[in-house]
Amino acid sequence: MASPPVTGSATVREHRGGPGPARFRPRRTPPAGAVRPKRRGVLSYWRQYLAISPFYLIFAGFSFVPVFYSLYLSFQRYDGLGTKQFVGLQQYEFLWNDPVFWLSIRNTLAIWVLSTVPTLFGALVLATLLHSVRRFKGFYRIALYVPNVTSIVAVAIFFGAVFSNNFGLVNAILGTVGIEPVPWLSNPWLIKVVIAALMTWMWTGYNMIIYLAGLQAIPQSVYEAAKMDGAGPVRTFFQITIPIMRPIILFTVVISTINGLQSFSEPQVLFASNAANANLGGPGQAGLTTLLYFYQSAFLDNDYGYGAAIVWAFFVLIIVLVVINWRIVQRGRKS
Amino acid sequence: MDLSRRGFLQAAVFTAAASGLTVACGGGSESGGTKNGKDLTLWYWGGALSDKVVAEAKTHFSGQIKLTSASIGGDFKQKLTTTLAAGGSSVPDITGIKGEDIASFLPNADRFLDLNDLGFNKISSQYLEWKTKLAQTKDGKQIGFPIDIGPTALFYRADLFDKAGLPTDPAKVAAEAKTWEDYFALGTELKKSQPGIFLVNNISSVFNIAVGQGTKRFIDEDNHFIGDQEHIRTAWETAIRPYTLGIDAKINDQTWNAAIGKNLATELGAAWHALDIESAAPGTKGKWRVCATPNGPANQGGSYLALPSQCRNPEEAFKIISWILSPDNNAKSYTDATIFPASPATYSMEAMTGPDAFFGGQKIIEVFGPAAEAIPVSYEAPADSAVMAPFMAELSSIEAKGKKPDDAWNDAVDQAKQIARRQGVN
Repeated sequence: MASPPVTGSATVREHRGGPGPARFRPRRTPPAGAVRPKRRGVLSYWRQYLAISPFYLIFAGFSFVPVFYSLYLSFQRYDGLGTKQFVGLQQYEFLWNDPVFWLSIRNTLAIWVLSTVPTLFGALVLATLLHSVRRFKGFYRIALYVPNVTSIVAVAIFFGAVFSNNFGLVNAILGTVGIEPVPWLSNPWLIKVVIAALMTWMWTGYNMIIYLAGLQAIPQSVYEAAKMDGAGPVRTFFQITIPIMRPIILFTVVISTINGLQSFSEPQVLFASNAANANLGGPGQAGLTTLLYFYQSAFLDNDYGYGAAIVWAFFVLIIVLVVINWRIVQRGRKS
Repeated sequence: MDLSRRGFLQAAVFTAAASGLTVACGGGSESGGTKNGKDLTLWYWGGALSDKVVAEAKTHFSGQIKLTSASIGGDFKQKLTTTLAAGGSSVPDITGIKGEDIASFLPNADRFLDLNDLGFNKISSQYLEWKTKLAQTKDGKQIGFPIDIGPTALFYRADLFDKAGLPTDPAKVAAEAKTWEDYFALGTELKKSQPGIFLVNNISSVFNIAVGQGTKRFIDEDNHFIGDQEHIRTAWETAIRPYTLGIDAKINDQTWNAAIGKNLATELGAAWHALDIESAAPGTKGKWRVCATPNGPANQGGSYLALPSQCRNPEEAFKIISWILSPDNNAKSYTDATIFPASPATYSMEAMTGPDAFFGGQKIIEVFGPAAEAIPVSYEAPADSAVMAPFMAELSSIEAKGKKPDDAWNDAVDQAKQIARRQGVN
């Protein structure tokens, strides 16, 4: 079966990496006796290196160095101002025995699943609907993308008001049909649902745009052929659209994994700490994500070493999940 | 085109080199800094000082010093910590430090000047001793000059009390709510006559004040964890009472803003909390009153001014802060920005003795003034707020998911011990 155009990126890659086009091949096996052309030194490319250096300098200064400095910090005890004290693996030992850390991991994973599944499914459905829309295309696209460019703080405050336990809009509407007020912002699971709903609201439009781009690359002839064979719209969706879109779906899964696991602002704004209660993450710490716990440990409790240990342990977890994702991607390619 | 690209690259290189040079100089020039600079910077956050008094200070000292003030937004402590750790010329000459952060700066007292060397010990009697002590290291180094304090009181709705047949006069209510148990009994009365009305917004606030009423907190002066001892256990039991009596509104989110004008009959809070109530429930104007906190006053918040050791002119800087925070100017600050001063002499000044319309014309200083002076001297360790956090979290767990109070206590103590160990407490 001919590979559909969407997976064309794989074909392109073959040209760019790997053995390369034929005209470069003779260099690898120079004819005997031929004078080997003098290899140009790295320094002779200084203009090119200079041209790309701003990014690398900024990256080194603001990302690379801090990242490894935090690794160094995770073996120290440091309050941000005083002297650092080497404590070996003690911070990681604390971490292993810290129930709040494990709670934060569970919270993060639960919120991630609760938000990613509806986000991606909703985005795919919306993209399909939008793809078949004939009029007001621009309007729908903008309307669905707007949540993604809205300030996350504003959205969180809005959600806080809408889902408010005692005086929120949702409970008011439920009240009119005789349903008792639901404790959205204090029940441990509903807290996660609200945070996940917020993230779904923000990211569905973003993923929809990506899917829409993918859908537009599917040639109409494939659909026409399916139609002639008698496939209805639902069958077309599951047996043509989804298989062809697979690489794009996997791309969005990877991106959503990285974004979803790093949820921080949503619970932070939704359950802002105050002078009387400096805890983060809401009642019962049900909305305490790992990054929020890191923030609390490092910047509120002045325990920078422990904070660094939290993020490094979390980094390991993200690596594990990314490897799982990558495996799925690879399996998808082979079949 | 080619030339312009090269020109661009050259410009880029020069800019990069120049900025590198500036950074290098910025770091280096500090070492031989003189201590009689004429340009001083003051860092504070919105509402920490009266902008009007700061502006007056600028003109008052304009002959000797050019004072520049910066209102720093966001996480103030974090910005200050980062700047102090980085050093250099961007460190402010005078900075505010929040009351809840002062303890965590004490282990690094060497980053600040000892105000006693500059003459604070001569005027310290004008300020509340317990507040001054909290900004003092064990060996007596004074790093913070008290700006304001947050003496607590019991705010209550006179109209709801009246409906329940309870006294409404502040002195009488104070007498009726002398102990925590008396106070909770009022809540039961209120609930009987008006179902749906709660006495306290959440039990963490009760715990916070109950702990603050004592002289010992979670860590003692020898750096031992004492958060599992009797005084904390008592505060915990006190906090649990309104929950078991069903007079706890269990509000742990932002719905407080909506609840305050509706079904909360009382509020436990510091003097500044009056502003929160006023802005959240302007419709209840005239219905609120204030009386003494059950079982005695505590403190919540209240900030300091400090001079980082890089200060370019310590003598003048100290003159400026002692001028801004003099009892007379504190009265102006109170009028302008409701900053409750740490200088008792101000309490009898006209600015503070007037009636408050929001509290039905009550002279609220008659409650907060004596409270301020009765707050006990306590010891707050650098890791105190970190160690306190699990207790607050567990109290909110009780409210949110009905966790059994005894389990919550055990978990809180376990976690607090762990945090204490992490923070180097033994």
